[in-house]
Amino acid sequence: MAADPTTQTLAELGVDSPEKVAELFGELRRDFDHQANVHSSLGDQEQWRLFVLAWTGRKSGVLTRITENWLRPAGKDIKPVVGQSLNGLKAQVEAMLTGLGALVRDTGESADARDQIDLSLPGVERPIGTRHLIRQTFEDLERIFLSIGFSVVEGPEIETPYYNFEALNIPEHHPARDNMDTFYIEGARGGHLLRTHTSPMQIRTMEKQPPPVRIVVPGKVYRRDNPDSTHGYMFHQIEGLAVDTDITFCDFKGTVEYFVREFLGPKAKTRLRPSYFPFTEPSAEVDATCHVCGGSGCRVCKFSGWIELFGAGMVNPAVYGFVNYDPKKLSGFAFGMGVDRLAMMKYGISELPLLYQNDARFLRQFP
Amino acid sequence: MKVFYNWLKEFVDVTAPAAELRARLSLAGISVDSIEESVAGPVLDAEITANRPDCLGHYGIAREIAAIYRLPVKPVQPKLKESAEKASSATRVEIESPDLCGRYTARILRGVKIGPSPGWLRERLEAIGQKSINNVVDATNAVMFELGQPQHAFDLDKLAERRIVVRRARAGEKIRTLDGIERTLTKDMCVIADAARAVAIAGVMGGAESEIGAGSRNILLESAWFEPTSIRRTSKALGLRTEASYRFERGADPEMAELASRRAAELIQQLGGGEILAGAVDKYPRREAPRKIEFTRKEFLRVMGADATDRDIEEILSALGFHPVRTDANRGGVGSPDAAWQCEQPSWRRDVAGETDLIEEVARHYGYDKFPPRLPPAKQPAHRLPHAEAEDRLRERAIALGYEEIVAIPLVDARRDERFRPEGVAPAVIGNPLAEDASVMRSTGIVSMIGALEWNLNHGQRNLRLFEIGRTYSLRGGEPVETAVLTLGATGFAREKTVHEAAREFEFADLKGDLDRIGELAGGFAWKSGGPAWLAAGHAARLSLAGGADRALGATGKLSQRVAEQLKLRQQIFLAELALEPLLAGMEAARASLRFAPLSRFPAVERDFSVVLPDGVTFAQVADTIRALGIPELRRIQAADLFRGGQVPAGKYSLMIRVTFESAQATLTDAQIAEFSSRIVAAMQQRFGAALRTS
Repeated sequence: MAADPTTQTLAELGVDSPEKVAELFGELRRDFDHQANVHSSLGDQEQWRLFVLAWTGRKSGVLTRITENWLRPAGKDIKPVVGQSLNGLKAQVEAMLTGLGALVRDTGESADARDQIDLSLPGVERPIGTRHLIRQTFEDLERIFLSIGFSVVEGPEIETPYYNFEALNIPEHHPARDNMDTFYIEGARGGHLLRTHTSPMQIRTMEKQPPPVRIVVPGKVYRRDNPDSTHGYMFHQIEGLAVDTDITFCDFKGTVEYFVREFLGPKAKTRLRPSYFPFTEPSAEVDATCHVCGGSGCRVCKFSGWIELFGAGMVNPAVYGFVNYDPKKLSGFAFGMGVDRLAMMKYGISELPLLYQNDARFLRQFP
Repeated sequence: MKVFYNWLKEFVDVTAPAAELRARLSLAGISVDSIEESVAGPVLDAEITANRPDCLGHYGIAREIAAIYRLPVKPVQPKLKESAEKASSATRVEIESPDLCGRYTARILRGVKIGPSPGWLRERLEAIGQKSINNVVDATNAVMFELGQPQHAFDLDKLAERRIVVRRARAGEKIRTLDGIERTLTKDMCVIADAARAVAIAGVMGGAESEIGAGSRNILLESAWFEPTSIRRTSKALGLRTEASYRFERGADPEMAELASRRAAELIQQLGGGEILAGAVDKYPRREAPRKIEFTRKEFLRVMGADATDRDIEEILSALGFHPVRTDANRGGVGSPDAAWQCEQPSWRRDVAGETDLIEEVARHYGYDKFPPRLPPAKQPAHRLPHAEAEDRLRERAIALGYEEIVAIPLVDARRDERFRPEGVAPAVIGNPLAEDASVMRSTGIVSMIGALEWNLNHGQRNLRLFEIGRTYSLRGGEPVETAVLTLGATGFAREKTVHEAAREFEFADLKGDLDRIGELAGGFAWKSGGPAWLAAGHAARLSLAGGADRALGATGKLSQRVAEQLKLRQQIFLAELALEPLLAGMEAARASLRFAPLSRFPAVERDFSVVLPDGVTFAQVADTIRALGIPELRRIQAADLFRGGQVPAGKYSLMIRVTFESAQATLTDAQIAEFSSRIVAAMQQRFGAALRTS
């Protein structure tokens, strides 16, 4: 076709009968088929896009122009035919554009595929930090105990001898103090010291609240030990305490076993060994199956199959005397775990100082 | 304590091999760490807890084994050939300080021949790691490791007036002990003296002058009971810990003193001959009647949560020497819930004073493994720490910004701490430090942060971003104060060179940006220039929460050149320390007040203004001037570019400001934007005399 007929009205084109309408539309269809085939065979997405726009564009596409210029002003006699023919054309255009369009996209994708990057080149590494391993371990521990009803509380690291020792049934000159060499603060009015365990919070909590009590206490503790591969001036503990009218040794055992399975995995077994701590009675050392040999005996567990995890026991009734709890009615259990030791065990770290040197190479190993 | 397996056999007919014994003892509370195979047989390394001095001898361990296997324990019955002459005719004993010495027995042996010990005794002592000295000393040592009772043999002829006085030391009194060291004593120490002077530090160590030697013939054998606290104090004060003091400070068995003395005399006579005078001089001012303790099933169930049979209870308590006697009305009823037993405290178990102690005795021999595990139902909701959620978000943010969390030991070098200590803060100084570099509790986390940066720089790590959530410590009026802080430290490249991008050093702007990303969680930070002396004067700021004048948070900036040089840090170091509590509280408040702001349906428009400003005019002044115009459609003011030199005259700088306008009601017209722009231009000119060029 010479001049674009769709810019004129049917009257201007001299189309005044249904036959002429059909002829006009027939011409248009052929024209469309031809153009569609040409454009799709180019395989150029941009060209195709422009072609589609030329036909279906809402403002000035061919179909729009037909509606505006042909259909709207058409006389009554031919309007229905124009409408029908237009719908027929629309259907054909849409069907072809959809079908051929997919073809064009496929060809385009093969062009994308020719532009191949080196996938082995590392991407841009945005620096992201890490939580410290001790923090990660505390979060694990807290989550386990929160799930069985233990609230988290914190306390001061600079303590009085009363809370650190006396109220825990460790009077002055008690041999149990041998294992707790203590740093003292100069010039503190209360003869303050650096707490040697998180246990003082047992007393502080019971002083403040009536039973039932169910808490864990994470925090730093200090011992006046010469540093070596497993000892430092400071390490971390998490203390636990549960006191109520109906807490028994069986509850203590169930709680400890739950913890060991949650922390070390479902295969880990627990063993309670009688022991002695001034503030618990009966007391126990909690052992778990050796993580290295799985219980068959190795050098790490000194061929016993067991690894000592932490000390625990039923709260010694003498402790209740310090906080005005009735030892005849109440019972409970307490435990104190060395968090560093647990982390070292779990991740195979043999040197305690690694945890506090804060060497970035160490920190980044635990993302 | 080292336990020689074959020695145990004298007191209990144990047949279990050593390895089994190790496991069974451990599960009954005598933790056996390892087994060593000596030439004489297996030796168990037992860890005896502080409450069990009775197990610091083979006899006590044998008693535990007897209870484990329900075997009888053999009695110790020394057979002495005593002469007619009485010990009391040969010596006298006087206890002047019964508060420190509860019992003192003295036995006299005459004409003993001092010599080496026979092979069997040497073997026994060597198996448990003891050196053989001579037959008399070895005999007393052997009895100590057998019965747990320390004894001391004096050369009777070297005791002035051949008599014993137990008394407090005189202030400044001196004694040369067996180890050859002269020691000065104090009034609260107990000594064994003769008529003239101290001849032993009671329960700790004998004196050199009355020591048994090759020429000794006549012996005074001491077997006594000393007050544990006094022994512990003395031994600590003198820095002198011995096998004897170890036992006495934990509490020896006062009843054992006499029996052990007979046993030692028997052994000495057997090894060195001689004559034993009849009886002993036995001063026992603090004899106590055995204490009665009740054991009830009810209490056992209340504490343990599961039962043990009558038979188990009775067998265990009997084997351990508690002589249980059923006292409840239903005497015949086996397993009665009201069952009660009256027990007697044996003299060697002063640690068992109440019913709970007895419960523990039964439970540990019955077996902790027999109690069924149970999870106690929770009756209350469990809570995390008060600011735990905010702290999580803060930690998350720091990590997202590329900071690695550190954990440091708060004990630091006092001089270092002083360098960074905030003014007017009294440090918490350690009174008994072990090392100079751990002699004070840090008064700021900056000390630890510098330490961590330093460690890394010295170990080949130069690009670092670290943070710590920890505490600082100080004293206020003699009372300790612990304050939670967030500390940041950064140095090296902000970005390392890769195939994708160029390298860039971490700068103050990175620090500021990072802090503001943290600050936005708390409603924003207000920055004020200035800071502590250890920060570079031009790169230091004090931070507070925006919208709160007195909510000061802390300081941040670049480490001053002077301090960096003193610490030999060759990179620029950026630091920040913020008080944690107000920050977390600010985060919680900001979170609580967060409300959705409707998104405009109309496009925002950006306009850039290049302004030439006199040096000293700040971006904040420029931004404030623009904001003061009160244009409601103003959304954002950014600093898009900044440069000095070139066409910009000296003393001035060029700043490109990007301003964003947006209306919620309509698309802004060109006329509106032009009006805003001309107002901004006018204000810049008027306020700063700024040369302006819009674009």
